[in-house]
Amino acid sequence: MGGSLLTPKRSARRRRQRRADFALFAAPGILVYVCFVLAPIVLSFSYSLTDYNPFSPPTENVGARNYQDLFSDQEFLQSLRVTTTLTLIVVIVPNVLGLAVALLLDRRGWLYNGLRSVFFVPMVLSSVVVSVIWTRLLDHDGPVNHVLRSLGVSHPPGWLSDPDLALYTLSSIVAWQMLGFCVVVWLAGLQSVPRDLLEAAELDGATAFQRFRDVTWRLLAPALTINTVVLLISAFKLFDHVQVITRGGPGRGTTNTIAFNILDTGFTENRQGYASAMAVTMLVIIACASAVALKLLQRREISL
Amino acid sequence: MKKTVALALAGVLVAGISACGVGDDDDSSGDGKQKISFLVFETPNLTSEFWDEQIAQVTDKHPDITVEKLVSPTDDRTDYARQLLASDQFPDVLIGISPAGFAEAGNLYAWTDEELSDFVYPHNGAVDGKVYQLPANTQTIPLVYYNKAYFQQAGVAAPPTTYAELLAAAEKLKAAGIKPFVAGGQHDSLGPLFAGILGTDLYADNPEWMHDRRAGDASFCDAGFKAGAAKLADLAAKGYIDRADVSRDHAAVQEAFLAGDGAMYPMGNWFASGVDNADEPPDFEIGQFPWPSDDGSVVVPAFTGGGLLVSSSAKHLDAARTFALEFQTNQAYLDNSAKADGLFPAIKGWEPPNAVGDTYRAGFDLYQQALQDDAVVPAFGFEAGDDGMLPGVVESWDASAVDLVTGQRSVDDVCGFLDDEWEAAS
Repeated sequence: MGGSLLTPKRSARRRRQRRADFALFAAPGILVYVCFVLAPIVLSFSYSLTDYNPFSPPTENVGARNYQDLFSDQEFLQSLRVTTTLTLIVVIVPNVLGLAVALLLDRRGWLYNGLRSVFFVPMVLSSVVVSVIWTRLLDHDGPVNHVLRSLGVSHPPGWLSDPDLALYTLSSIVAWQMLGFCVVVWLAGLQSVPRDLLEAAELDGATAFQRFRDVTWRLLAPALTINTVVLLISAFKLFDHVQVITRGGPGRGTTNTIAFNILDTGFTENRQGYASAMAVTMLVIIACASAVALKLLQRREISL
Repeated sequence: MKKTVALALAGVLVAGISACGVGDDDDSSGDGKQKISFLVFETPNLTSEFWDEQIAQVTDKHPDITVEKLVSPTDDRTDYARQLLASDQFPDVLIGISPAGFAEAGNLYAWTDEELSDFVYPHNGAVDGKVYQLPANTQTIPLVYYNKAYFQQAGVAAPPTTYAELLAAAEKLKAAGIKPFVAGGQHDSLGPLFAGILGTDLYADNPEWMHDRRAGDASFCDAGFKAGAAKLADLAAKGYIDRADVSRDHAAVQEAFLAGDGAMYPMGNWFASGVDNADEPPDFEIGQFPWPSDDGSVVVPAFTGGGLLVSSSAKHLDAARTFALEFQTNQAYLDNSAKADGLFPAIKGWEPPNAVGDTYRAGFDLYQQALQDDAVVPAFGFEAGDDGMLPGVVESWDASAVDLVTGQRSVDDVCGFLDDEWEAAS
């Protein structure tokens, strides 16, 4: 017993020791975060206040002019529209389809276990691989149009070449890849729904739809939060699919997302100061949109 | 024990991060060899094996040099070079990228007249009067390659010599159920067709147009450019170019033409090697003719340049220069590049080897004839240095060509956009 009673001196030493241990374990993470997250953000912000172009020195401080120019830059506004449309599709479609698939797969048995893996496979594939596969499939003379022609469609859609269709094709490919993620999160949510609650509702005479609406759906709120926020962030910063599948085209800006526009402005047009202003603006938009979505969805969780 | 492990891990991590920041590869091997990096690009014609073989020919001759080959991951190798520069990984030697921007910023070594003494056009592609890219090869962009069987099937007796005849031939082909033009949607797959139109409509009238544009004395909204843009849009509107083809890249378009997808394929003369070297030769005969002008006068757009460039900050600058010059003037390389990529080396005294194929030979003769007739003009969109567009505008020109084909934008919209992009880039 007496051993557990520490003198003030020993207690202070132990607190110092705990702080030192904490600092030691936290240091690597903090260091990585500072080097690879905070420092680039600070650097980007400082570049965004200049007209930095590595091919046109000297660099001059332009204050907030880059930010002012953004709001009259038709190309940036177009990329904002493209990104917003793509984000809406990528947030809604995998969420809705994912829930439907998860409800179908929320059963025991080897078949359902196998199907869960099947749905998750696209998620673990590289987005570049997925993009290359879909580009081949949706080529004008690719397998998809070949099947359509064999079914009598004389002029099958130009999935990636029609400017009115390319953005929706691209969004669908991303939605397809994200579907597996949503299915897994929804499944985890479904499996955490207490069976006795559902049984009680059934005993009270609730129909299957009522049980889903009043019990299951409400308890799936955390899963909805995770899916929505992850999809929102993933869609808003989408670059790799665009680079491989459409390169922002066909033509000018049809599928030019903000992230793609940043790379294009920074490394093709060499206007890296201006591109940094775009990057900072994108960061602010993503942060605000995520925070609002998180707040709204978490409020729904709390109100249960 | 836990503390020891944690300390060790933290140490390794810190060391790793530090290495990322201050890393400076020792690129001299212990045996005294000087290591240089070399950025190349691969195409259906220029395979990995081709580059390895050409590099080996130089390093066999200069055993004190070792080469680390880098391959551009995309068709847009200039863009990739910019990314490497921005991340402080600019290669020591590069091939086939546009020097615009890099040269003005002092990233490239300027060749001396003495070093350029073997080149036929030693000052082509100069930037502010200095040559940064070895003016090594001439490429005709485009020649129109055509499927003789399809022409015969559609009742087109001879290759068109005027633009009106070209339209008439396209109409006959379309009526016969044959796609008149095979095209794509990227720089190397749609650009040559647009360059053909602008060569006859713009450069034939004013070969100095791009210099005038740089001086502010010309505009994309000038009648010549607008007429060319309208012709491109019209070809698509009439159904002679399939709008759905704009999702194709260079390799896909070449493959499609060789598979009989359509009758005419406006392309750079590098396509000749795709025909002459095909593992399975096409089952039809291929002819070629220059893009026809309105009045029937022969105009052959061509570009001389495309050679090697050396980084001004190469650690082993002498080795890099030696390698680049030796690589570019090596007789075996020149012969191989003619056979493998259909190039016309612009090196004094060079003659095509006997081993080149018929398609190459026909294109080479056509170019030689154009030279004699003073009918060669710059290839719009493919020029370099002071002769070319400002950095970043070429990509806008490419996108605009697609917009014209898809009908997404009007000619006036495209012209205004390109002038705006020019202003933004200047």
